[in-house]
Amino acid sequence: MLDKLGSSLKDALKKLAGKTVIDRAAVEELVKDLQRALLQSDVNVKLVMGLSNAIKKRSLDEELPKGVNVREHVLRIVYQELVNLMGDGGAVTLGTQTILMAGLQGSGKTTTTAKLARYFQRKGLRVGVICADTFRPGAYEQISTLCAKINIPCFGGPKETDALKIVRDGLPSMSGLEVVIIDTQGRHALENDLIQEIIDINTISKATHRWLVIDAALGQQASEQARRFHEAIAIDGVIITKMDGTAKGGGALSAVSETKSGIVFIGSGETIDDLERFDPDGFISRLLGMGDLKALVERAEETIASSDIDVNAMMRGKFTLRDMYKQLESLNKMGPLKQIMSMLPLGNMKVPEGVYDVTSTKMNRYRIIMDSMTDAELDDPSLISSSRVQRVALGAGATPEEVRELIKYYKMMKRALKGARSGGGKFDMQRMMKRFSG
Amino acid sequence: MFEKLKSRLKDVRSKLDSGIHDAEAHEGPPGSVPAAGKSPAESTGIVDRVKVLIVERELIIREADISDALSELEIVLLENDVAFPVTEEIIANLKKELVGKRRKIGEPVDAVVLSALKKALSIVLGNGFDLISYINTHEHPVKILFTGVNGTGKTTTVAKIGYFLKKNGFSVVIGAGDTFRAGAIEQIDVHAQRIGIKIIQHQQGADPSAVLFDTVQYAAAHNIDVVLADTAGRFHNRTNLMNQLEKIRRVMKPDLIVYVDEAVAGNDAVIRADEFEKTVGADAVVLTKADMDPRGGAAISIAHTIGKPLMFLGTGQGYDDISPFSPDTVIEELFGDGP
Repeated sequence: MLDKLGSSLKDALKKLAGKTVIDRAAVEELVKDLQRALLQSDVNVKLVMGLSNAIKKRSLDEELPKGVNVREHVLRIVYQELVNLMGDGGAVTLGTQTILMAGLQGSGKTTTTAKLARYFQRKGLRVGVICADTFRPGAYEQISTLCAKINIPCFGGPKETDALKIVRDGLPSMSGLEVVIIDTQGRHALENDLIQEIIDINTISKATHRWLVIDAALGQQASEQARRFHEAIAIDGVIITKMDGTAKGGGALSAVSETKSGIVFIGSGETIDDLERFDPDGFISRLLGMGDLKALVERAEETIASSDIDVNAMMRGKFTLRDMYKQLESLNKMGPLKQIMSMLPLGNMKVPEGVYDVTSTKMNRYRIIMDSMTDAELDDPSLISSSRVQRVALGAGATPEEVRELIKYYKMMKRALKGARSGGGKFDMQRMMKRFSG
Repeated sequence: MFEKLKSRLKDVRSKLDSGIHDAEAHEGPPGSVPAAGKSPAESTGIVDRVKVLIVERELIIREADISDALSELEIVLLENDVAFPVTEEIIANLKKELVGKRRKIGEPVDAVVLSALKKALSIVLGNGFDLISYINTHEHPVKILFTGVNGTGKTTTVAKIGYFLKKNGFSVVIGAGDTFRAGAIEQIDVHAQRIGIKIIQHQQGADPSAVLFDTVQYAAAHNIDVVLADTAGRFHNRTNLMNQLEKIRRVMKPDLIVYVDEAVAGNDAVIRADEFEKTVGADAVVLTKADMDPRGGAAISIAHTIGKPLMFLGTGQGYDDISPFSPDTVIEELFGDGP
């Protein structure tokens, strides 16, 4: 999301490098670039104008603090204003709650409902789902199939046409469960009877949270739709879906500003685990060329038992074949490598494309080859001489070329992680400045 | 659809008019001869303007006269979800069309502006696509493959078009090619039953190419006129899924590939339409959820990006809520003086 903005901003900021006095023309150029990027990302036109005016005004008016150069000063303003625009991430509590899902047709409510159920289940809560989509054929089959896969009770009636009755009947059957998620049919702002229906569902269910699901590709329409939903049921969180496409998700920002809420989750894939918590600070850090380390660690902590992978060791740059073995082993749980790499604080550094070109079948081959290595070799891969390569290849039923390829891959990973080593978990302005000058 | 764009366009038109009128007023008596040394090659230079004004009693429209109105038009288009690059191109075309244009004194400015705007938009929107005459002029069964990203409304569109064709006297069979999403086969199955169309389906997780191949075989054996092939939604940046679509195309050899996207999509509409066009091609476009959005900018963006005609607009949740798209009507509507 907004990755284009990242690079364009960097270019514009470069022009401010080394300046000691604020240069009006350079600031204006920066603001113009920012506008273009935000408009291309579908952020609401009025929001963009407001944001760029604020940045321009503050950059030119505010006095330069001592010991800070112009670029740092402007960058800080851009960062703060972007944080303002995105709002705080919406709150997600891990207690007893009822969540009502709302959104336009085809925005991904049902898929997201299942992903949310999975998320709370992984957090150790008892979860149930009510399917109040009585309109779309196959909606109940879809959600009940997804729920059955993860052993979550799903209440619904494929023959029932009254969504209110389903909710009324469904809630008592969910007693004893901690989290109840109500999936609803898609509706849009101009369908008054359907808006009334969701108001009624909200009243009956006394939902704790009402989350609006927004397709990342939604354009300028997002503001209006969000406003109508907000008027109807007081939206208190936004979920962006389909972030694995090329859409930038700017529409969601419009929705956030319209509902005065925050983005709670981001959906970024078709499997049930592809849901991330949204964290504005980390998000902007990623946007500006710093990895979102927090999200990675959060994800790693919950999916993987502590013995599986040592993120901290990896971060320290101590990365052996053994670590890689563990990493490959847990990769399926963590999601595609590219996604993980994009969360690491690699800064401006280009990760060699080859790192991603490892298919899951190849991963398995690599694991088998590593099984044929000794402990010493796993801890210190530099031991592996050509005669050892021969032995490992024989033991694993692989060719020596494959073994060499594995070692090459290991070295590539190690190099990539070396750059990540000193990133640190917190948003570090000083460090980021250095990255920008690179 | 388009209502919003329409009302805003009216404002811009009047602004363009006044910009050009102002220029007329400022021209004043042609007494002051400009300083020498001005390049006479500059077509809109003062020398030329004055010469044209004296000799031919005409005015030349300068860039400065219309720049305000054009930048306002730019914002209007952006606010209406016309993608950024497309907006830039429309503005550039309009500028090219208007700047340097000669206008007789007293000739209504309105006409000049209007024809330029109309021209710019009609280039973008192209011609419509008449499905019925296409089917009539091609060998049966006519095989139509539907593609698009997730959640744009492919399955619903397949049902609506099936219903539309059935009403027009064609026999239709639907292939349930979305074997991935849970509940998708049930969804299309219910639609098919309701509208009374035969459906060919396999289990969830089956190879969609095989399902669609069977559908084509069935149609050929039973003298069916049209095959409608539904597919799973897929993102254009997933190589393996796009390869699967490519395989489907190889196996079922569709006559028409219809790309389905939603009217509410923003800038991304351009990117994905382009990718789909590049990988599997597209012959026509269906824009869904047009009832959600009175803007309609996505129609302009997509049509402009891939240069393929817009065939239908989806306008609601019923089977009848689909209407053939005609660019001429839209342009007339946009600039007409009706309500």
